[in-house]
Amino acid sequence: MTRGFELGERTTRPRPMDGGDDGGDDQGPRRPKVERPDTDDLLRRMRRVDPNQARRYRQRTGQ
Amino acid sequence: MFGLETEYGIQVDGVDDLDVVVESMELIRCYLREDFVARWDYGLENPRRDMRGFEVDGLLNDRDETEHLQKDRARKIPLKDLKSDLILGNGARLYNDHTHPEYSTAECLTLADLVAQDRAGEAILRHCARRRSASRGRGVVRLYKNNTDFDGHSYGCHENFLLPRSIPFDDVIAALLPFLVTRQIYAGAGKVGVEADSRADPGLYQLAQRSDFFEVIASVDTMTRRPLVNTRDEPHADAARYRRLHIIIGDANLCEWATALKVGALRLVLDLLVAGKAPRLVLADPVGAVKAVSRDPRRRWEVELEDRRRTTAIEIQRAYLEGARELAAGRDAETDWVLGEWGFALDALGGDPAPLIGRCDWVTKKWLLDAFAEAEGLDWQDPGHRAWLQSQDLEYHNVDPGEGLFLLLERSEEGGVYRLSDAAAVDRALVQPPERTRARFRGRAVEKFGAAVRSLNWDSIEFQVDGRLATVDLKCCVDADSAAIFNDKLDRAGSVAELLQALSEAVPER
Repeated sequence: MTRGFELGERTTRPRPMDGGDDGGDDQGPRRPKVERPDTDDLLRRMRRVDPNQARRYRQRTGQ
Repeated sequence: MFGLETEYGIQVDGVDDLDVVVESMELIRCYLREDFVARWDYGLENPRRDMRGFEVDGLLNDRDETEHLQKDRARKIPLKDLKSDLILGNGARLYNDHTHPEYSTAECLTLADLVAQDRAGEAILRHCARRRSASRGRGVVRLYKNNTDFDGHSYGCHENFLLPRSIPFDDVIAALLPFLVTRQIYAGAGKVGVEADSRADPGLYQLAQRSDFFEVIASVDTMTRRPLVNTRDEPHADAARYRRLHIIIGDANLCEWATALKVGALRLVLDLLVAGKAPRLVLADPVGAVKAVSRDPRRRWEVELEDRRRTTAIEIQRAYLEGARELAAGRDAETDWVLGEWGFALDALGGDPAPLIGRCDWVTKKWLLDAFAEAEGLDWQDPGHRAWLQSQDLEYHNVDPGEGLFLLLERSEEGGVYRLSDAAAVDRALVQPPERTRARFRGRAVEKFGAAVRSLNWDSIEFQVDGRLATVDLKCCVDADSAAIFNDKLDRAGSVAELLQALSEAVPER
């Protein structure tokens, strides 16, 4: 969805989320309320990610 | 005038002994249809010069990087060849910055241009990666628009702003510190885990990729002992009138909204600084606060001020927002967009951040990770599970649209990703510099008279014409009116000689 600066209107939003612990009290770390992404392709892609991909990803220091 | 410079991470599947320096060089050269010719002029660069009026003997490297550099020196490739600096027709710089392919956008005057130019950089590097994968024989080249390897090595996404030199740099630091330390609440790209701190909970999810890596308040260094405010003094403009503010604290963003808001909000804060109206806030421990805010699992983001009062990152941002509203509301559509989205973000962050999915990278990534963890029954505290989540974190930043999690989300109908550019704008930005800028002069000069360009830099182009060298100085060409004069002369000129003659008449002091 493309919205230019001049429109300034948020016509479409991500779906409302439910579940999770987002109480903001002292009951421990909270996490954003989430529900499963509604794109099956995305979850399928995530399952195909090699669990060791980040461990093999080694870079040199940059700026 | 502002721009972004982004260092990309690089990996080749199935190649464990990758020489990233050479690989980055070869990747950059995949942009070319002809042999590389070194034309970038390094004479005006001096990263050791400090804004505070001195020059250091050398920049610092950590032990790890020092060992790498010793191996680099044994490599028999000239530095100019290794860097493979290219100036593109869209005014951008594409090169191998040390070990990372880097895309520096053209100078921009609008956020719309900046977002389009930044996305064009992704597309250009994607093109280079595909060509390199095809040519190297084995292994797929993958590029990541992120800032860490999760093992203590960071690389940057730097923002650059032109600023009047008349403002004392101590005032710049004072005005910016509270803003920069807390901006990550909407500009952070999110990170699984903690680096460079063995005492921290490794299962944390942080707001920002870079916050672990800052150790001092101000310094000229950028690779170790990183500063919250970089003091490098390379104005790339008239040094008597301008500074180039080189912001190194930010993350590389995938969300266009985050790119636009982080730069747009800072631009307004600089307007406050110039107007003498920046909020007078002093953090007790800025370096500690940048880490504490990023790592706070409760997302209260409390910080202590110098007078011992406690406040929050949201309240600090609100102070800057209110000042910006008073100063600039109604100025133009982009300013009002920034003010509106800034306030919208702070409201959401004060409660349920869900409306920022598709806008703010750390929220979007956390949403994906939590959904995945739930679907797969993963525990953030389990090292094996966390490694998989870190791999998902990495893949969020993969710029291959068939693999990158963010790009897949952006492409999906229900992804809810907020776009500020469209395909046509990005296609234009691949070949067109932003209008009314000196970048247009640079890009068009390379396109039109490239054979005569002997060397160039951000603020000058040296032509070889009729057996002599002539330099067009662009140091004064930083405002739209000046750029319009230069660009008009370039458009009308039929030869380099005509261009030089026209500029000498239009800008006689040159």
